[in-house]
Amino acid sequence: MKRFTNCSVRILATGFVVLTLVSILLFWIRFFCSVSLSERMPDEIKSTVIEPSGLLPLDFENDPNLERRSRASAQIRSEPLLSLGITEYFDSISPGGRRSRVILFQSEKNWVYFDNKSGQFVFRFIETEIMPDSNKMEREVQFYIGPEGISEIPDKTLGRFIEPIADSSKFKTSLWKSGEIILYDKKLRRFFKIGLKPKTFVKGPELDTDDTHEPVQIGLLDKNQLLLQLAWLPPEFKISKLYPNQTAVWNYPGLPTKAVPSSETGQYLLILDKTGRIDLLDKETLTFAAAAGRLPETAALFGSEGPATPKNTLSYAAKTIYLGATRSIEDIRDKEPSESEEETLRYAGLIAASLSRDGTALAVIVYDEKGQMKKRTYRTSSRRSNTVTTAYFGSPWAPASSIVKYLAESLHPPVLSIASYLTASSFEAAAGHRALFLLPNSFIAMKARDDRSRMPFRAMFALLLMTPAILLALWLAARILKDASTLGLSRNARRFWVIATLAFGLAGYITYRLSRPKVTLVTCANCGKPRRTDMDKCHRCGSKWDVPELTPPAWRVLNG
Amino acid sequence: MFTLIKREIRDHVVYFIAGIIFAGTITGISLSVIFEFSTLYRGMDKLMSHLGIVIAITSIVIFGFFAMGAAQMYTDKNRRISAFLSTLPVTRSRILIARMITGVLAILTLLVPLAIVSIILLRIFTPPIPLFSGVVFEVFTAMFLTAFACYCIGLQAGWNSSSLVPALDGLVLTFILVSLILVKGFGLHIIMILLLFIAASLIRIWHLFTSTSL
Amino acid sequence: MNDNVIKVENLVKYFDGRCVLDGINLTVPRGCIYGLLGRNGAGKTTIIRILLGTEPATRGRTLLLDTESTNLSPKIRGRIGCVAEGHNLIQSYMVSRLIKLCKDLSLQWNDESFDNLMETFRLPRDRRVKDLSMGMRAQLNLALAMAIEPELLILDDPTLGLDTVARRQFIELAIEVIQKQDRTILFCSHILSDVERIADRVGILAAGKLVVDCPLEQLKERVKKLRIIFPEIPPENLYLTEIINQQIQGREMTITVANWNRQKQAILETFKPSSCTEIPMSLEDIFIECTKPEQEVITSS
Repeated sequence: MKRFTNCSVRILATGFVVLTLVSILLFWIRFFCSVSLSERMPDEIKSTVIEPSGLLPLDFENDPNLERRSRASAQIRSEPLLSLGITEYFDSISPGGRRSRVILFQSEKNWVYFDNKSGQFVFRFIETEIMPDSNKMEREVQFYIGPEGISEIPDKTLGRFIEPIADSSKFKTSLWKSGEIILYDKKLRRFFKIGLKPKTFVKGPELDTDDTHEPVQIGLLDKNQLLLQLAWLPPEFKISKLYPNQTAVWNYPGLPTKAVPSSETGQYLLILDKTGRIDLLDKETLTFAAAAGRLPETAALFGSEGPATPKNTLSYAAKTIYLGATRSIEDIRDKEPSESEEETLRYAGLIAASLSRDGTALAVIVYDEKGQMKKRTYRTSSRRSNTVTTAYFGSPWAPASSIVKYLAESLHPPVLSIASYLTASSFEAAAGHRALFLLPNSFIAMKARDDRSRMPFRAMFALLLMTPAILLALWLAARILKDASTLGLSRNARRFWVIATLAFGLAGYITYRLSRPKVTLVTCANCGKPRRTDMDKCHRCGSKWDVPELTPPAWRVLNG
Repeated sequence: MFTLIKREIRDHVVYFIAGIIFAGTITGISLSVIFEFSTLYRGMDKLMSHLGIVIAITSIVIFGFFAMGAAQMYTDKNRRISAFLSTLPVTRSRILIARMITGVLAILTLLVPLAIVSIILLRIFTPPIPLFSGVVFEVFTAMFLTAFACYCIGLQAGWNSSSLVPALDGLVLTFILVSLILVKGFGLHIIMILLLFIAASLIRIWHLFTSTSL
Repeated sequence: MNDNVIKVENLVKYFDGRCVLDGINLTVPRGCIYGLLGRNGAGKTTIIRILLGTEPATRGRTLLLDTESTNLSPKIRGRIGCVAEGHNLIQSYMVSRLIKLCKDLSLQWNDESFDNLMETFRLPRDRRVKDLSMGMRAQLNLALAMAIEPELLILDDPTLGLDTVARRQFIELAIEVIQKQDRTILFCSHILSDVERIADRVGILAAGKLVVDCPLEQLKERVKKLRIIFPEIPPENLYLTEIINQQIQGREMTITVANWNRQKQAILETFKPSSCTEIPMSLEDIFIECTKPEQEVITSS
């Protein structure tokens, strides 16, 4: 029993070593195939444009003086190194990263971090005061924010945040300028507004228990921003003909003075929900005002992968569009737009873009101020025009890369491929690019996520995709069975190895070759077949040992 | 056991010396770069970019531990050291454990000074907030485990090979293993995978060393 | 406590398809000096290596001091002194360093005895082992093995490379060990005069089998070489079993027979030989007879 246990442990150990090394090797093959595919993606797939955007009045967009209409555009940027774990690691530990408790770090005197111990945010910044003699005086200010208030000294009565999310847009621009931050706590289910300079604190109402909102990001909505560029461009007029003195685009009669594609200003804050829905939060009341839209669904190689959510998209971005008041020709000629005009900004709508899990499909969508979809773009109508299909098979060398990727997936242990099928939707999109043992970005997993086909057909198709893997596993298992029979392994041992090879494919076969007993085989004098030297009897004919090459004498001189 | 460890260290002292020299060199270079800059933030920026270079170079050095493991076993096999030691009141398991402890000490000789210097620099140059908290621990733990895993591959390659060429097969496997850092980064995932890999390798090496003829 | 210090049961060893040992059964009782003999490649060193656990057996098992060879604890190893074939020492070490290593690892060490031996053998401590001659290495190996005051001494061709004087010194040392109570020695040697001098039990390996395993005196009693003269041409078949060798020259027949007894004597006498004289054999003579490659009847006119 002990020997059996030792042997099993040894085989498992060998198996794990082999599985790890084979998985890493196959990872790199798949990685280079993915890099090749993304580098060779046609430009028409890498970028997409909605023009006109639909957020401006139609008569403007159709004005014959327009050189270019307003447009919402998105572009995929190929950054293969960003998908690697090491890049993700350093990104996540940097200030503002996923794992970092430091939300902002501008200098040794300007930072914001979340103190896990006290459950409070700590802000530190340099406050500049202008003295009566016009000199500037700087002083370092540090204060603490909890769900119950704000204080310049640590104070337990401020309470504890449990799972806070901060409006990250504030931390990307000059925090101290705007002086206002909105926070949300997932467990307390409330919004909080903090005014940094006036040191005000507003606690929003708690969300009802039956309220289905589950915010995951507030303010600046983006993920893996280096992979996806989303922009909204105003229309361009042939101004020189009409107003030769004017250079600013916005100084055109009847046209709104500005379009602000961000959430820096305006009465609403964008809130991204776990389901991919985007809501508007009223900054004054800290309550949800309306639904602004959703992340756009992207095309898939197989059918559809369902609605886009923060978890199942590799990258996304969303921006609000605010339009200023219109100006008359005289105002345009005589005056510059004044600061007070910012107060008259009105919410015009939302643009959002998503990038699919595998980084091959891009979608852009435009919503109006009522949250109604105005325009969207991804080509889904037919398989032939499917951008994902084009990405995998349309461009030069893409079929070769796709086939090599597919073959590399086929060399992966079949049992792990099946596990990838079953857990296809469990992985966060970016994590799939770093997966070693389970493959959320494999063709099988893509099919698993196809929510347009029924389960039995999905499963059959997945099995069909696994055909090379299954055939390879069968062939290797047959070889192992033959070798194990030659070696005289017990029936249980042979069964074990066949099942292990069917389950783990190439890794199982290599494990067998490394773990098989290293015994010498000699020809049995009785049956003429190879027999093991470490067994008392021939495992084929059962005959006892005979060593014909040795001819010892018949006599013995022994004394017991 | 202490005698066996002392013997191993003395026989392979060159790796310890190389580790100390290398750690000292990297530390010196890092310190000189950091102290060039007067402001904290620029220094931090440089530190982080150089940390990347330090990690890259140290990853290359990790291959040296493969060489150490291979050299230990190859020398043993060639000079029949374990065969001699087996005639003394020493078991093969103890010989192997002493060998591995020596390998661990060699790795620590390289990594501990670098880790200490990193911690000191972070303490000096960062404000009292959890900036890059846990980074030093995670990075150096992952590097230690990677180095040890490469060392284990070296032990197996050195024992299995009767000449240099088959040992180079192990070097290829080392490259594959070290690339795991690029795949997974330095977090918990790689630590778990490496711990399991090391445990599995140790079981293999133990069986190889204790069951083959000396 | 078992009286058998060494026990070998059905030992089989294959090297790459070639059988070297084919079912060896051997016991060495406590206090015995056992001489294991065999031609080159017979498997003597293999048995010793398997006993010490440095070589795995293909089949069968071996026990040393009641412990399986594959599981010898440091405590058991500490009771065994060993001089391996070829004097396997760490060549790159200085002699002093090697001595210190052995001393630190040993469970017991007799400094006085060791220093005496070093003086007797005149071994330098400030040279590398590889710079010593083969004989000096043998002496050093021996000294290291003896310094731990072993309960069991296993010597594989220990006098290989030793000059006559050193060999004599070794034999005397071995006798000194023998005189200590309960000490056991297993040794292999090609110098049979030395074996004959000190061994009290002998084993001979041939064709993978242990063909002889008995006390030395008994061996000489049981293996007989006879010169028989017949009045006419000797008969083709003497109807004697266990003939080791047989040579016919004219009317003269020389036979070597194992397990000579009265029954065989009686059978021989039925052929009414003219004369029958015993040729005395030393251990070397017996060994040569037992291990001759062609153990057939040789007839010459």
